[in-house]
Amino acid sequence: MASTSGSVGGEVTGVPPLAKSALPPPRPKSPPEYPDLYGKRREAARVQMLEREIGYLEAKIKFIEGVQPASRCCKEVSDFVVANSDPLIPAQRKSRRHCRFWKWLCCVPCLSLASFCCCCQSECSCHLRKPKCCNCTSCSCIGSKCCDGSCCSNICCCPKPSCPSCSCFRGCCCSCPDLSCCIPTCFRSCSRPSCLNKKKSSCCSCNCKIRWSSCFRCPKVRLCCCFCNCKNLCSNPCCLTF
Amino acid sequence: MSVSELKERHAVATETVNNLRDRLQQRRLQLLDTDVAKYSAAQGRSPVKFGATDLVCCRTLQGHTGKVYSLDWTPERNRIVSASQDGRLIVWNALTSQKTHAIKLPCAWVMTCAFSPNGQTVACGGLDSVCSIFSLSSTADKDGTVPVSRMLSGHRGYVSCCQYVPNEDARLITSSGDQTCVLWDVTTGLKTSVFGGEFQSGHTADVISVSISGSNPNWFISGSCDTTTRLWDTRAASRAVRTFHGHEGDVNTVKFFPDGNRFGTGSDDGTCRLYDIRTGHQLQVYQPHGDGENVPVTSIAFSASGRLLFAGYANNNACYVWDTLLGEIVLDLGELQDSHKNRISCLGMSADGSALCTGSWDSNLKIWAFGGHRRVI
Repeated sequence: MASTSGSVGGEVTGVPPLAKSALPPPRPKSPPEYPDLYGKRREAARVQMLEREIGYLEAKIKFIEGVQPASRCCKEVSDFVVANSDPLIPAQRKSRRHCRFWKWLCCVPCLSLASFCCCCQSECSCHLRKPKCCNCTSCSCIGSKCCDGSCCSNICCCPKPSCPSCSCFRGCCCSCPDLSCCIPTCFRSCSRPSCLNKKKSSCCSCNCKIRWSSCFRCPKVRLCCCFCNCKNLCSNPCCLTF
Repeated sequence: MSVSELKERHAVATETVNNLRDRLQQRRLQLLDTDVAKYSAAQGRSPVKFGATDLVCCRTLQGHTGKVYSLDWTPERNRIVSASQDGRLIVWNALTSQKTHAIKLPCAWVMTCAFSPNGQTVACGGLDSVCSIFSLSSTADKDGTVPVSRMLSGHRGYVSCCQYVPNEDARLITSSGDQTCVLWDVTTGLKTSVFGGEFQSGHTADVISVSISGSNPNWFISGSCDTTTRLWDTRAASRAVRTFHGHEGDVNTVKFFPDGNRFGTGSDDGTCRLYDIRTGHQLQVYQPHGDGENVPVTSIAFSASGRLLFAGYANNNACYVWDTLLGEIVLDLGELQDSHKNRISCLGMSADGSALCTGSWDSNLKIWAFGGHRRVI
């Protein structure tokens, strides 16, 4: 084997030269294997829960061995229903029974067309009257009209124009084309809130001062309308569609 | 034990659980030898028949300016409290239709309300995750703002339903979007017990409704978006006494049957169901016939005898009256004169069973009662 000797830039004396192929190439060490305690504990917890569930299920199976069939439960339901009277069910016989309900409800005499009593003939002097479509000129709402033939009441039947010309007036609210969640009032003088959506609807914007300190988690999340946007003031945080 | 051994145990345990569940289901099916409708038909029960004016709307309670979400009767004195999207609670005299209180709420997004047994306080809850208590003897300012007597804080999600424990003005149960129910001490404002949740076996999705047994106030049932209904004993909160399966959608509403041993449910799957709490049997399914898609049930109420089941649905103003024994629809309140103009969101039967109150998205409440014999002018 030819020996190589010498060094760059000078002589090296007293140290025998090492052959290049004698040493293995450097190899970094792998980190030591630490036990995955978190994973082990998590797995143990899962097993524990399952074994607990096994215990509950075995108890349930033992319980159900002594359970009566559904037919006996149905009999109990039927017997209970038949044995108990029900004020809302029509009398089976034509003879009149004591209408205890009418003492409860018919104590107010029928004074106006807007109300009527449901009467047993012998109990009450008033009769059922079909409400007539009243003259709504007494309503102070602008543009009010009779609603489906029923009489005007304290709340006027305001028309519901489509957005954007709609403004809240005595609680009447337009319907947003994108969302069905316009609230009638925001904060007193506030007009309709903005309808939250990525694309703006034609509802007006709101200058409400109500501030929410935290986001809401909406019930029955629907794609159209439940999201948390704390920076949007006074808007309906959720379309309560349930 | 190593992780691999644990995983093997996990797999074995999972298979055991599945086998046991199958065995349990098989045994249950064997015990379901009939349902209420088939049994009653075999017994020759006569159907309930309503004339055109047998059930009528006797009162329309107008005053809310937004959708009505919830209502509750007093156990006596014939008053009703209602909660609306307009951010107000209104207390009504059901006899005279007069409003006795109009409470402006600190958080407008209310979802539920309840009367205390003595009729002196009302509770409400909603998206603020708090159940607020108001005393009706407190003086309101000109805006209708009544000071909150007590705030029951602790839920981590919206409060979907609340109900006072019968005959106990100091205890109240709430259900929440945080998947739990809580029994509260109203006097201290503290939680007495938590049912379900992170460290306990309970519902696995939002809990939407609760109903407390009138005959045994230690029991209550909860309906959830996990499609199950669970029976709880307030004395043992660690785990539900029984879990009732069957529904294929969110259980929106639960109510005890008048005898206290059964309960009804209403669901997004369009059905109402009757269950037996002692055996766990599903006794009857009430499903409207039709080709259309299933319309969610929003609320239910039983008549005094349990013969009638009133169910509000999410389409238009439908409120079907079911004959619970024969499983048939005998009436639709939505087709009667003076019916609601929009979805019926809540129902409640008066304490004596003589009147039903309905609340609707049309902002009104209506009281329905038996019409008796009359002449129509």
